[in-house]
Amino acid sequence: MSRVVVIGAGLAGLVAANRLAAGGAKVVLLSKGLGGLQLGQGTIDVFGYAPERVSNPIRTVQALPGTHPYTRVGATNLLAGLAYLKELVPDLLVGDPEANYQLPTAVGAIRPTCLAQPSMVAGNLGAGDRVVIVGLRQLKDFHPQLVAENLARTDLPSGGRAKVRHLLVDFPAREGEIDSSALTYARAFDDPGVRERFARAFIGELESDEIVGLPAVLGVSDPNAWRHVAEKLGHPVFEIPLPPPSVPGIRLNEALTASAKAAGVRFVPGTRVFDFRASDRRVGSVTIAVEPAGREFAADAFVLAGGGFESGALELDSHGRVRETLFGLPLEGADAVPLIHGDYWGGEQPLFTVGVRVGSDLKPLDASGKPVYDNLWAAGGIIAGSAGWAEKCGDGIALASAMAAADSILKELS
Amino acid sequence: MTEVNDRPATTAKAGLEFAGHELSRASLDSCVKCTICETQCPVSAVTPLFTGPKFIGPQAERFRNGESVDHSLDYCSSCGTCTLVCPQGVQVAELNSQARAVMKADHMPIRDRLVSQTTLMGKLMTPVAPLARWALGNKPIRTLMEAAVKVHRDAPMPPAQSQTFQSWFASRPRPATVPTRGTLVFFHGCAGGYFEVETSKKTVEVLEHLGYEVLVPRQGCCGLAQQSNGLFDEATASVLKLCDDLRSSGKDLTIISSSGSCTGMLKHEAHEIMGVSDDRLADVGTRIRDTMEFLLDLHDAGELPTDFAPMPMTVPYHAPCQLKSQGIGKPALEVLRLIPELTVVDSEKVCCGIAGTYGLKKEKYEIAQAVGRPLFEMVKATNPDLALCDTETCRWQIEQSSGVKTVHPIWMIHAAYGLG
Ligand SMILES: Cc1cc2nc3c(=O)[nH]c(=O)nc-3n(C[C@H](O)[C@H](O)[C@H](O)COP(=O)(O)OP(=O)(O)OC[C@H]3O[C@@H](n4cnc5c(N)ncnc54)[C@H](O)[C@@H]3O)c2cc1C
Repeated sequence: MSRVVVIGAGLAGLVAANRLAAGGAKVVLLSKGLGGLQLGQGTIDVFGYAPERVSNPIRTVQALPGTHPYTRVGATNLLAGLAYLKELVPDLLVGDPEANYQLPTAVGAIRPTCLAQPSMVAGNLGAGDRVVIVGLRQLKDFHPQLVAENLARTDLPSGGRAKVRHLLVDFPAREGEIDSSALTYARAFDDPGVRERFARAFIGELESDEIVGLPAVLGVSDPNAWRHVAEKLGHPVFEIPLPPPSVPGIRLNEALTASAKAAGVRFVPGTRVFDFRASDRRVGSVTIAVEPAGREFAADAFVLAGGGFESGALELDSHGRVRETLFGLPLEGADAVPLIHGDYWGGEQPLFTVGVRVGSDLKPLDASGKPVYDNLWAAGGIIAGSAGWAEKCGDGIALASAMAAADSILKELS
Repeated sequence: MTEVNDRPATTAKAGLEFAGHELSRASLDSCVKCTICETQCPVSAVTPLFTGPKFIGPQAERFRNGESVDHSLDYCSSCGTCTLVCPQGVQVAELNSQARAVMKADHMPIRDRLVSQTTLMGKLMTPVAPLARWALGNKPIRTLMEAAVKVHRDAPMPPAQSQTFQSWFASRPRPATVPTRGTLVFFHGCAGGYFEVETSKKTVEVLEHLGYEVLVPRQGCCGLAQQSNGLFDEATASVLKLCDDLRSSGKDLTIISSSGSCTGMLKHEAHEIMGVSDDRLADVGTRIRDTMEFLLDLHDAGELPTDFAPMPMTVPYHAPCQLKSQGIGKPALEVLRLIPELTVVDSEKVCCGIAGTYGLKKEKYEIAQAVGRPLFEMVKATNPDLALCDTETCRWQIEQSSGVKTVHPIWMIHAAYGLG
């Protein structure tokens, strides 16, 4: 059986590990810490702004210029990735590559996203919808009045506006705490009894036909908690993702980690990879920084899914030089002048498109266009060419590139 | 950063100074407040008394100038989960352990001194094992103990044994097989020497079955319980003495241990938490392997015989925090999966609650039970008769709280090799 080491447990690393293990490889997943999933919204953005708001993400991807990472990875891999992910976590993601959802955020803006959790999609509002945003007095980071007032004055992407009001409910997650986190609430909402008490606390204040918007705290391990709340209220409900700790992100992270383990992936968390051995343009092993002497993992193929600047996979030094911190791979876009312009509110910073250049098989390439190592692949935020948060395409690139890298490895090793 | 953080700190005063001011502080500025540690903390999940690793760790540390600004710090169990999951390399747990040592430096409770005397407890209890077993199982006596030294009356206590591992090792018949694979040193730890004698025996018998000669030098305590109770002075002396003991068997030999938490102390905790920077520790730390880690290494190298007898059963397995902190994943799971017909179910729970001596303490007992409850339920539901876990105090906690007999994974390997 072929051995593959995947470095990084964000969306890219987890998808690659799942796919490789399902394809028969013996996978070791090394990760310095938890990946970025639970810092995001628990949805999959494919393309949100190009730069205007996108309604059909796959069509936008198909029309991109050649330099964009999506064009290297290919729309076919993206579509396959979306289908694969929905299969991996059937309870958690729904959606159509041809149509973005337009969902309310925790500041009452409307955000385009491709796959969302079923608990969120009733927030895809139409003109004239009557909405009540319900907050919890003891929950930090969710302000129903802010959400409601902003949402009420926003033109919906499909036209018209919704009618939005707010409610604040006194409902502590646990005794003695007046500023509970979203996760503390979500753990409480895993209990059906708590959900029933919660529904009773404000059902009397709902008006007929209202859609109920709630902070995304409706259960973390029970995927049907939100359905139960909706049932008890007799109204459609939708969850609004909060800043971290993001409960929908945690659900997604845990589900993908669990499915990887179930597929036989050996997950070794808390392990920063800091060194490697290579000869004849092949990587032989990588070494993790465990006290006191490090530990080596040999494999037939390696996937670098370390993310970008935010996870330390890319680094900018005080001389303005960018480097990829593990393999020292050649970078694309690193020579841009300036890398960072001084206009904070201005256009995109060139720095954030810096990354590893890959071929269509997702192997990092050198200046002459040849793979740097014949058995090294890259996926996710490490790839050059886009600013994921601006275009809202980071998730989709991570997904599609992980899919393509895994399939390329399985093909080569078979 | 102007100072190197690896300064030798082998004396008590230097140890505490180090704790107060240096080592992990260097990692503090890497905290981006992402909350990942908070989401994984097993203690703040069950009680608002602990405000969580981010707040107590990197945030509160900025305000500490010797003195701690927030005493809920003492509710941290030092399980180490926060450090393990931090994507920015912040040594959250180490910061907390150091700050606690400083906080308690001049008013250490007698109880915290007593429960950290693991060798002493073993030595005292072995000759009077039946009596000790009776006394520790006796409600009135435990109630008195709770009142006197604040060890909770229902907290798990080590099972006293009538024979120490060392006396078994010295008096048993020589193994019949001739070693073909070289020599290993066995580190049994206090628990493995005095209480978990069976685990130590089985480990040695498996290693000998695989063809190794096993040496067992006289050895003392690693000082982990003292360290986790903030007694850095005593702990540093213990761990260095132990290094000398283990090195006395030979300079290049691999050292094997079935005491997962003591192994963690030698590999990284003595250095990272107490700042012990000593060649002897680095040498031992580099050579020591957890038993299941060693077996998995052998398997990865194609050198582990897998002629295991089938064991048609399903058992729950819990990986202890101190094993996970070693960055070795869960080797027992991988090795046990080689046994035909055996289904091992990973508990996937963060912590059993005991965290060394935390769950023994009267004021922490309920919290520790709440931390472990999902695990106890999982264990009972998976197999009411047998559970597996790599470290001693966690096994005692699981067994006491779930009523399910809990043994080291080497017991399964031992049985599957037909060693009795
Ligand atoms: C502030 C911000 C907002 C964003 N908003 C959006 C958005 O709204 N929509 C969108 O689509 N995209 C967004 N993005 C982009 C998106 O987050 C990334 O494109 C995506 O998360 C990349 O996933 P990944 O798996 O490649 O990396 P990550 O999720 O970052 O995971 C990297 C993994 O690698 C590990 N790692 C790194 N180095 C090492 C090492 N040396 N050894 C071992 N492990 C290592 C890390 O611990 C981690 O597990 C945003 C990014 C940022 C920074």
